[in-house]
Amino acid sequence: MVTKSETVSSFVQAAPPGEVDIKALAPSEVQSLEPAFKKYNEEQYTTVKLSGSSQTVIVSSYNVLDDGRYFDTASQTSFEVDHSSQTASSAQSYTLDSRNADAIQSLLKAFSAAATEHFPSSTVGVYPTDSDSSIAILLVANKYSPQNFWNGRWRSTYVFDPSSKSVSGTVKVDVHYYEDGNVRMSTSKKVEASSSSAEGIVREIAKAENKFQEELNRAFSTLAEGSFKGLRRQLPVTRQRVEWEKIAGYRLGQDIGGGRAKT
Amino acid sequence: MADDQFDAALDLLRRLNPKHTTQNVSHICSLVPSLEEELLASVDQPLEVRRCKKTGRDYLLCDYNRDGDSYRSPWSNEFEPEIEGAEVPTEKVRKMEIKANEAFDVYRELYYEGGISSVYFWSLDDGFAGVVLLKKSSSTSSRASGVWDSIHVLEVQDRGRLAHYKLTSTVILNLGSQAEALGEMDLSGNMTRQVTADLAVDGGAEGEGHVINVGKMVEDMESKMRNLLQEVYFGKAKDVVGDLRSK
Repeated sequence: MVTKSETVSSFVQAAPPGEVDIKALAPSEVQSLEPAFKKYNEEQYTTVKLSGSSQTVIVSSYNVLDDGRYFDTASQTSFEVDHSSQTASSAQSYTLDSRNADAIQSLLKAFSAAATEHFPSSTVGVYPTDSDSSIAILLVANKYSPQNFWNGRWRSTYVFDPSSKSVSGTVKVDVHYYEDGNVRMSTSKKVEASSSSAEGIVREIAKAENKFQEELNRAFSTLAEGSFKGLRRQLPVTRQRVEWEKIAGYRLGQDIGGGRAKT
Repeated sequence: MADDQFDAALDLLRRLNPKHTTQNVSHICSLVPSLEEELLASVDQPLEVRRCKKTGRDYLLCDYNRDGDSYRSPWSNEFEPEIEGAEVPTEKVRKMEIKANEAFDVYRELYYEGGISSVYFWSLDDGFAGVVLLKKSSSTSSRASGVWDSIHVLEVQDRGRLAHYKLTSTVILNLGSQAEALGEMDLSGNMTRQVTADLAVDGGAEGEGHVINVGKMVEDMESKMRNLLQEVYFGKAKDVVGDLRSK
């Protein structure tokens, strides 16, 4: 038996980029929604601004601290997050304690530079993970266009193993278009690469993401030509529109190839 | 308050993944049970299929051919499971309904080359109303699949020599693929359009004139929507991805 909170939580998790607002449906549930909003923000790599800075920082499960606060490597700060309003506060200085601190800084530098090459706007985060034995590299890019009724989000997640010099992760892209309808595209792709330097890793990632983007563009055409056409043709094989006077008039369907009970 | 909740429910459904509409409607009803009737009547969900026991042909289910837990087959005109005193269309409307089902059966084969169609009519004081349903599934390979559902709701008013037609059409589309190079890709959605027309009704004792007019309107509408869906699903989604990242 699913509880009300679980139901509302599941709605929060499933909401498209930039569109979370469940208050009207279940006002009394909003209090108990904090965990759902937290999970949503961490999964979606919600970004927040630290006071006194124009830079955005990522909120994820990779940069959460034991006391519930989050930290940012680049600015060396820790901060509190109000998940329902998606805002940050109480920023304090925070020194990163990691045996891979040098690698983290190199990756941060290289990855941030590469990001500006490919993404008009994005936020990057590099954090220790797997009990400090690996390094997580995250990127989130958003495009909100409410006047044109669409939103898009790109999320890259990579985990780098310094001992094996290999990196593996996933790229997820979500697009929501809602003018006179509701269209959702989501794709998820695994990526793997290896290199001995931070610059090398970042280069391999960029290559893999370029390839993925090419495949994605191709897929739009293949789906259009393949699966979509297999659903409904643009025109009948006769290349002519239906002659309704004929088929609804004085001839039965059977004469023109209809009347088949096909699933 | 109830109106706000209904609007919020519709708004929420518009934003959640259309792939899970049925599940989401059920969840919303568990949160706010009083919305159930209205939601089920207002939200378009993929069509369910049943086999007509009498004729062996498949037909599509919707609120308009439902009575309690039973559904009326457009082929046999009987409810399954049987109900005492079930309401079926008048003889005049049923004749027109039979013609429409036959005509749309041909239409279905020409455009969908497979799939299932069902048409249900019922009389109104000054005309009639109806729904034309179409469903097609395809799987080009074990890794690519798609489902198309069309729901065309009609309202027709007799006005002497002309009849006034109002058509509200919804297409629900689900496409998915899994490929080595691409990973998993999912495209789901629905789109609704409306059109009205005042048309002369040609003679014919069995409502052929109406069937011809309705047929043309549905064909025009579906063709327009198919092109729009192609543009939006593939064109727009591709543009947005291009805006997010450039190679």
